[in-house]
Amino acid sequence: MADKRPPMGPRTNSAWPSPAALILTTVVVIGVFAFPWLNPGYRALSFAVTTGVTAIVLYGMAIPFGQAGIMSLGYAGLMGFGAYTAAILSRDFGLNMWEAMPFSALVAALCAGLFGLPSLRISGHHFAITTYVMCELLRIALINGGKFTGAASGLDLPPIGTVLGVKLDKLSNAYMLVAGFMFISMLAAYCVANSRYGRTLRSVRENEQLSRSIGVNTNMYKVGAFMLSGLFAGVGGDLQAYNFRHISPDLYGGATSLYFALMVMLGGPRTAFGPLAGAIIVTFLPEFMRIDPVDSRIAYGLALIAVVMLIPGGVIAAVGRGYQWVMRTLRGPHAGSADPHSAQV
Amino acid sequence: MATLEITGLRKTFGGVVALAGVDMTIRSEEILGVIGPNGSGKTTLFNTVCGVYRPTTGTIHWNGVDIAGMPAYAIGRLGLGRTFQQAMSFPALTVRENVQIAIEHGSRREDGAGPQWSSPEELLEFVDLEAFADEVASVMPFGNLRRLGVAVALGGHPAQLLLDEPAAGLNEGESVQLIHLLRRAHELGVGICIIDHHVGLMAELCSRLVVLHFGNKIADGPVDDVLSDPKVIEVYLGGEE
Repeated sequence: MADKRPPMGPRTNSAWPSPAALILTTVVVIGVFAFPWLNPGYRALSFAVTTGVTAIVLYGMAIPFGQAGIMSLGYAGLMGFGAYTAAILSRDFGLNMWEAMPFSALVAALCAGLFGLPSLRISGHHFAITTYVMCELLRIALINGGKFTGAASGLDLPPIGTVLGVKLDKLSNAYMLVAGFMFISMLAAYCVANSRYGRTLRSVRENEQLSRSIGVNTNMYKVGAFMLSGLFAGVGGDLQAYNFRHISPDLYGGATSLYFALMVMLGGPRTAFGPLAGAIIVTFLPEFMRIDPVDSRIAYGLALIAVVMLIPGGVIAAVGRGYQWVMRTLRGPHAGSADPHSAQV
Repeated sequence: MATLEITGLRKTFGGVVALAGVDMTIRSEEILGVIGPNGSGKTTLFNTVCGVYRPTTGTIHWNGVDIAGMPAYAIGRLGLGRTFQQAMSFPALTVRENVQIAIEHGSRREDGAGPQWSSPEELLEFVDLEAFADEVASVMPFGNLRRLGVAVALGGHPAQLLLDEPAAGLNEGESVQLIHLLRRAHELGVGICIIDHHVGLMAELCSRLVVLHFGNKIADGPVDDVLSDPKVIEVYLGGEE
């Protein structure tokens, strides 16, 4: 699978995916863009738009979490900064979705840097809890923001409008737009993971003291990774605000952040398709299986424990390992990779 | 040639005096050994020089630049590399990626000694680990992990290396291999300063020895002179001599 390569890429240093990975990627891209032609219905299509927007945020989140190893529970808040920036710029300055996007990204990135600052002093659960609290504080601030933030009822946004004759307010077109941005995020996250920058983040994750000794300013890299991921969250927030046409503080609380964390862990933060898979599973599974929302939360809790204990790399990494195992078995015991740690194809 | 000048270096942790005002000079053209009983302040000396700790008092000049209290990464960037007492690596990454990261950061420096490693493979061949390039670092035998630690430090393109017990836990053959490696690194122009308890190894490798005892320097000079110094025999070598 394409999955395992980006972070570890053990066999070669080339950032180029293997043929099998390219075929899989092509299938996924075609599948995602073909989805509206399968007549999925309005409800499923709007779920798909939400999934796509969420996946954009998750690809950002995968950079500090997957590469630098720092789990933050503040991403709904960062998405909120992006969404509220878009809504306020639209209301006060008449900017449209495209014009607001760079501002949303920038504001979210700066706030992500702030959210990431505690990671210089604390780590693990302590940092995760700190960012969760920051996210909740943002929600409370939005509720009490008076006219500026629209208080508890939130803010409205105008339609996305038309670009090059394409009416983007039509749901299937909006879906295409979001899918496009989602694949750009996927590619961007992949490029980061395979760059010198991504490798340095992994060195920070693996051994901060050793990393510093060879001249890496680990603090800068940590905050930088958060700011980079904030760009994704800001773009996601802008897209979400214009697709929902109405935003409110409850969308951006700690609970949403927990769902994001669940998705990214479930899918696998170090795999190219992990965040997308996580977003799809968590958004669509309860809908398809008609699980009660309360029951589904219990199921998520159990699923998360199962993932952490049984398949720590996430679902996609596990599928990749399974595929490799099958290929090795088919080729015979001595053929193929002798390294049990390389899970790439 | 690079020079590390340490004057009056003192480091205390609460009431514990780890370094009680040490003066010493480390020149990159020599192989210097630092010996002393456990708790004599050897590792504290390295950690203070490399920016892990801020000195309580005293100065540290690296090629004339005052580096006392500078953050560890900035000292690393100035070409002062180190290894750690515990064999350190980036455990979940491959051996190749371990050295690649070091080279990518070391190659930005112009003032380091030795060659600019053009590829991870070249450096891995130098430390005799090329066969393990695709292994995950954490599954390697301990002796290889020690050499990987040296490789990562060399990849950082240092002018001077401070090695904290690089031979600890190694068997006879691995120790010999390591000494050989350090000699070759020194021939490339990298200064070597090494802490170790193995007096035989130190006598074979080093040209000068410094002896620490309770945070004080009690001897400093050519290996033979230091090892026959009655004070050194009394506090450190004891029954061995």
